[in-house]
Amino acid sequence: MTKNSILFLVGIAIVLVLGFLMPWVLKNPFYFFVGYVVLQYVTIATGWNILGGYAGYINFGAAGFFGAGVYLSAFLFTTLGLPLPLCILAAAIFGAVLGLLMGYLTLRIQGVYFAIATLGLVVVLETIVHNIPALGGASGMAVYGPRQPFWSPGPSQFNFTVMLIIAAAAVTLARFVEISWIGRGLRAVRASEDAAECSGVPTLRLKLLACALSGAVLAAAGAPYPFYTSYMEPVTAFSLIIGLNAIAMPLIGGTRSWVGPVLGALLLASVQQIATVTISSELNILFVGLVLIAFVAFAPGGLAELFGRKQRRARS
Amino acid sequence: MKTRRDFHKLMAATAAGLAAPAILGSKAFAQDKPIRVGASVSLTGPLSSTKNGLIGYELWRDDVNAVGGLLGRKVELITYDDQSSAANVPAIYSKLVDVDACDVLFSPYGANLSAPVMPFIKQRDLFMIGMFGLAGNDVARHDKFFHSGPWGPNSGRDWARGFFDLARAQGVKTVSIINADLEFSKNAAKGGAEVAKEYGMEVVFNQSYPPNTSDFSSIIRNINAADPDAIFIASYPADSTAIIRGVKEIGISDKVKIFGGCMIGPQYGALLSSLGPELNGLVNSHTFVPEPTMQTPHIKYFFDRYTPIALKQGVDPLGYYIPPFYYVAGQLAAAAITGSKSVDPAKMAEFLHANTVDTIAGPTAFNEIGDWKERRVLMVQLRGIKGNDLEQFRSPGRQVILDPPSLKTGDLAGPYNKARAG
Repeated sequence: MTKNSILFLVGIAIVLVLGFLMPWVLKNPFYFFVGYVVLQYVTIATGWNILGGYAGYINFGAAGFFGAGVYLSAFLFTTLGLPLPLCILAAAIFGAVLGLLMGYLTLRIQGVYFAIATLGLVVVLETIVHNIPALGGASGMAVYGPRQPFWSPGPSQFNFTVMLIIAAAAVTLARFVEISWIGRGLRAVRASEDAAECSGVPTLRLKLLACALSGAVLAAAGAPYPFYTSYMEPVTAFSLIIGLNAIAMPLIGGTRSWVGPVLGALLLASVQQIATVTISSELNILFVGLVLIAFVAFAPGGLAELFGRKQRRARS
Repeated sequence: MKTRRDFHKLMAATAAGLAAPAILGSKAFAQDKPIRVGASVSLTGPLSSTKNGLIGYELWRDDVNAVGGLLGRKVELITYDDQSSAANVPAIYSKLVDVDACDVLFSPYGANLSAPVMPFIKQRDLFMIGMFGLAGNDVARHDKFFHSGPWGPNSGRDWARGFFDLARAQGVKTVSIINADLEFSKNAAKGGAEVAKEYGMEVVFNQSYPPNTSDFSSIIRNINAADPDAIFIASYPADSTAIIRGVKEIGISDKVKIFGGCMIGPQYGALLSSLGPELNGLVNSHTFVPEPTMQTPHIKYFFDRYTPIALKQGVDPLGYYIPPFYYVAGQLAAAAITGSKSVDPAKMAEFLHANTVDTIAGPTAFNEIGDWKERRVLMVQLRGIKGNDLEQFRSPGRQVILDPPSLKTGDLAGPYNKARAG
């Protein structure tokens, strides 16, 4: 294990310990409601980036995977009474299988056609849920989540900690993909798929793997959502906003490394949450649009590259 | 600072200032604090057409503050935009309760947005007035939740019972039901089918359609093929328009005695104005219309002030469906606070459970889960509409109340084709 990897794991461990301790120090539950949403977007942006950032395949279907995770987790919890960790694991496996299937069907097409095909996944899944009474259909489904365990002072704090664990696992997975042979292969695909194929990179297999991993993380991000809202309905679970944020956050943060989506999500989701209860939601949406345009125009590498550039300049 | 004496004076004044709250007592201090009322409103997103309700809240707040507030304290209204998304609701209500320290809560609009907040208020044992959530408290059964909307008990099933009461009186034996594949319309259609069965009517055609359907020609032809005596429709504004236009193009059997039921859209000025005479004959649900049995000086005064604000803000200039009941929500909260002389949730709830409250929408009493004890959903028939002038809908006789009998201002004009011809 390299020095960087050890430092990374120590950092993750510190964040987790702080996450477990924070609910006992910070008494106001509001911060944990907001923190949950921010961490949810850290996970979504990280999951999206495995395929969209590393491999360069723009996926508009993030909301489809997220919604699938929401519904599977709620269904397993309410009908079979499965414990929360198993619900999250099942959602991740389901997301991986869904990603694999989507990959088989769509990865032979590239560019804008791939993006459109992934958008179709959201519509298909939402329509299916609309028509399954066992999942509440259009009326939605009330879900009364599990009682918080002894180590958490309240339900919102518990949801926050669960989401923190998922986010930490997602970031660790993204970093592993990035520094391993998978990441090297995906970077080759992004640079030139034909050249990579000619050089012996198993492009389809790598893309399928990226689809499965991305799908698993996105679905896992949705798994605790029913317990956060205590209610779910298809319009919110498959909301276009989730898909748009999943793209905007890595683009703002930077798509080349695991740091980018984390930075982008922390910045954008925090600003969105603050703006919702301070300025107004219209300005909030305008802000997202303006920031996105500014980054695409002036810093296409995102925040991560901006910081990197500054550091390099400082060193030289 | 000139001298040491000046410094001592300043220190004494500071100490007195800091000690004042303790000397005066917490009671005196609390009386200066406003009573905070918190709500989430859909200012943006698909439900933004309901944002005119905010005018109702604001008028109520201004009225209360103009007479000195409640229990001698001013009322402060704190609202946030939920963007019509259930995902934003938990954090907003936590902000209202945990950061803004609101004493009274109003729910978001409708059942889908209210559902996420129900476990929260039950767990924290908070007092809330519900805004238009059909059967919103039927699952949580929280004893400190009260509907401002006139749905009545068993609203999930009985919302449109008035339509079937009218149909039964006309000797209807067969009925067709169509509904949008969305929460409210699905519930209304399901409840309608149950009531039809209870009344011994045969449902000869029952179909839901995807929410973005714009062409209803095949559905209308299928309804005609089923040849029903009545057609019950649960739709949203865009589909309501398409259905009315589709009927105009294709036509409907002369056998149909009553048509409509639960169409969202013809309650709003925009749709009334755009469809105009095409709405003649339609029997539809509503919450308030300016008929003699409902007009009181209080509600007239409310609309006298609502209309100029609505025109200025560019929202529904009529505002009959939603805004009065947002004002009613405020009146219920005010009655609970002044009646119980407290902002304690248990005492406020106890007062509302035990007393009838006079509101601009009439007297209101509640059952154990906060439903109005008596259903007061109106079934109105649109009649005598000429041209597309919106002002005509402010006069009586355009939206005649057929049900409930206590507010009735006319009898059903039928069959539908005859009534449609005006």
